[in-house]
Amino acid sequence: MSLLRVEEATIKFGGLVAVNKVSFELNQGDLFGLIGPNGAGKTTCFNLITGVYAPTSGTIIFKDRNITGTPSNKIAKQGICRTFQNIRLFHSMTSLENVVVGGFLRHKTVLGSALCYLPSAIKETEELKSQALDLLRLVDLEDVANVRSRDLPYGKQRRLEIARALATQPQLLLLDEPAAGMNPNEKMELLSMVKKVRDELGVTVLLIEHDMKFVMNLCERIFVLDHGEEIAQGPPSEIRNDPKVIAAYLGEAV
Amino acid sequence: MKTFSVAEWTRSRFISVVVALFFCFICQLAFGGDGLKIYLRLLFSLVGIYVTLAVSLNLINGITGQFSIGHAAFYQIGAYTAALLGSTYFKPMADNSSLLWLLIAMGFSAITAGVAGFIVGLPSLRLRGDYLAVVTLGIGEIVNIIVKNQKSLGEAYGLSTAKYESTVFAVVLLAIICIAVSRNLLKTSHGLAFLAVREDEIASSAMGVNLTKIKVTAFVLGSAFAGAAGALYAHTKGFVGPADFSMDTSFLILTMVVLGGTGSITGTTCAAIVLFIIPEKMRDMHDLMLGVPIGVAIGIIGGVGMLKRIQDTFHGEGNVRLGMNVGAIAGGILTAYIASKLLCQIHGLQTMINGQLFRMPVLAITLVVLMLLRPQGIFGHHEFSWSWVQKLFGKRPVPESEVAS
Repeated sequence: MSLLRVEEATIKFGGLVAVNKVSFELNQGDLFGLIGPNGAGKTTCFNLITGVYAPTSGTIIFKDRNITGTPSNKIAKQGICRTFQNIRLFHSMTSLENVVVGGFLRHKTVLGSALCYLPSAIKETEELKSQALDLLRLVDLEDVANVRSRDLPYGKQRRLEIARALATQPQLLLLDEPAAGMNPNEKMELLSMVKKVRDELGVTVLLIEHDMKFVMNLCERIFVLDHGEEIAQGPPSEIRNDPKVIAAYLGEAV
Repeated sequence: MKTFSVAEWTRSRFISVVVALFFCFICQLAFGGDGLKIYLRLLFSLVGIYVTLAVSLNLINGITGQFSIGHAAFYQIGAYTAALLGSTYFKPMADNSSLLWLLIAMGFSAITAGVAGFIVGLPSLRLRGDYLAVVTLGIGEIVNIIVKNQKSLGEAYGLSTAKYESTVFAVVLLAIICIAVSRNLLKTSHGLAFLAVREDEIASSAMGVNLTKIKVTAFVLGSAFAGAAGALYAHTKGFVGPADFSMDTSFLILTMVVLGGTGSITGTTCAAIVLFIIPEKMRDMHDLMLGVPIGVAIGIIGGVGMLKRIQDTFHGEGNVRLGMNVGAIAGGILTAYIASKLLCQIHGLQTMINGQLFRMPVLAITLVVLMLLRPQGIFGHHEFSWSWVQKLFGKRPVPESEVAS
């Protein structure tokens, strides 16, 4: 069954067509890669799926429901969560608090009970904190739970963003350049972590990445964008030898 | 992690409520009497009201990060609601049972101000940063101008209300409730969503946080508290007039929040007390020789210069740094004293001027100094906590992880 279906999604900023008639389909449990040269429209694709922008035309269907143009917070509620290319953590909060915010949707108590400091609100806060601690353990950040996220090194910030996104208990996780700025060791750890997230939590993963080795090793299917248009789609072995992809990355042979 | 037990919760809540009420009574006894203490009582009540106003603005400005500078509008709406109701429909009650009416008036004023906050907030909170500031500034002026031109609201003359001798109890109670609500919010997971909105709107939206809902909630809550404070103000002074709710008031409240540290309840409370008392005490200053303010200015410049220099160049041990800072401040005060004494010897600087002129400039100077030395406010994002006190007295602090749980 298809989890996410993007049909001919197009967005124009003035005269610039950032994404042009892009269509792809994700199945439950996929590890799907989205690659392309700089400025190809990959992050814009993410922004379309997560409701930061509404597409000019085309539809996005998630779990047989049309989510085109739905606001971000409602899309998160449906079960899509993302990380950001330029890390967007809540910088003055600790790692633990960052992940607790990710659990916001699971609030059962109302705000009033928090304002009155009722037992239900305290209990819920403790529950969310212990769940957040479990997630921090999953991404191996347990030791820095009480460190302000601003003070974390780059690689840990990226992992924390993943933990925060997982806290919303998504069915589809969008990772925007999760390995950017990591050293080869960290990349290998990240690779196994993403696999673990897919295998253990059953989360479908769609990721943007520039590191070809990382993408080719991790993803089962890859989609290649260039200038906002699809140029190839398929398993890594096909993509690697696709002349169009090679041309987009390295330029045409003269 | 410490597990939560209902019995313990009940006990600690009970104790804190009793302590709070006891504190209110003590304040009432200490400051509530009449006779010679009228001025003291008025001062204390106003300090309490301003603490409420500042902490409620902190909820909007500091915790949720929505830069609102029209807080006096909601204060005004609350004050006029209480004045209007107290002199018409509820006149018998207002005349007979003061405390009961005060509590009811606080409720009514909170509701009207909260509704006003909702109406204003719903469209304007879609704006960000500077744009929101401009809109709220406009709202503050609009409300004041409408009141100034409404015959039923007494135009520029204002409205008179029943004046109570004993508002201190209610004032302290409201301030405590306001502080408690803010603190409760920050202690629970709901409050983290408010902080998240301040930190990054796009990211918090991607986590499923409804931005509009959070912002409007904070705005309504802050406005409602300001309205309740207005009701108390009306009955403390026995009179409300548009001049009390001008832009100056909005900026005074904003200054308190910024000075204390945006987001810090402790900081805001302290700043509200200090910033209200300093200009108020400066009313007593009458004639000064021109040399004195010039000397003080020289002292401030010298002291701030030294502090800034220490901040920029010294990266040593904490205690040494503290000593140097204290030294710089003492040096500044000494310079101010000597310079003003010396300058007063010069014939041209012996002209007498009115010291009250400097009431407002003092606020401006405080802000400039603050921005130079500590842009995040005196307390920054920190809060008062018992482990902090223990640390100050050299005891082993409670590990962070236990405080967090």
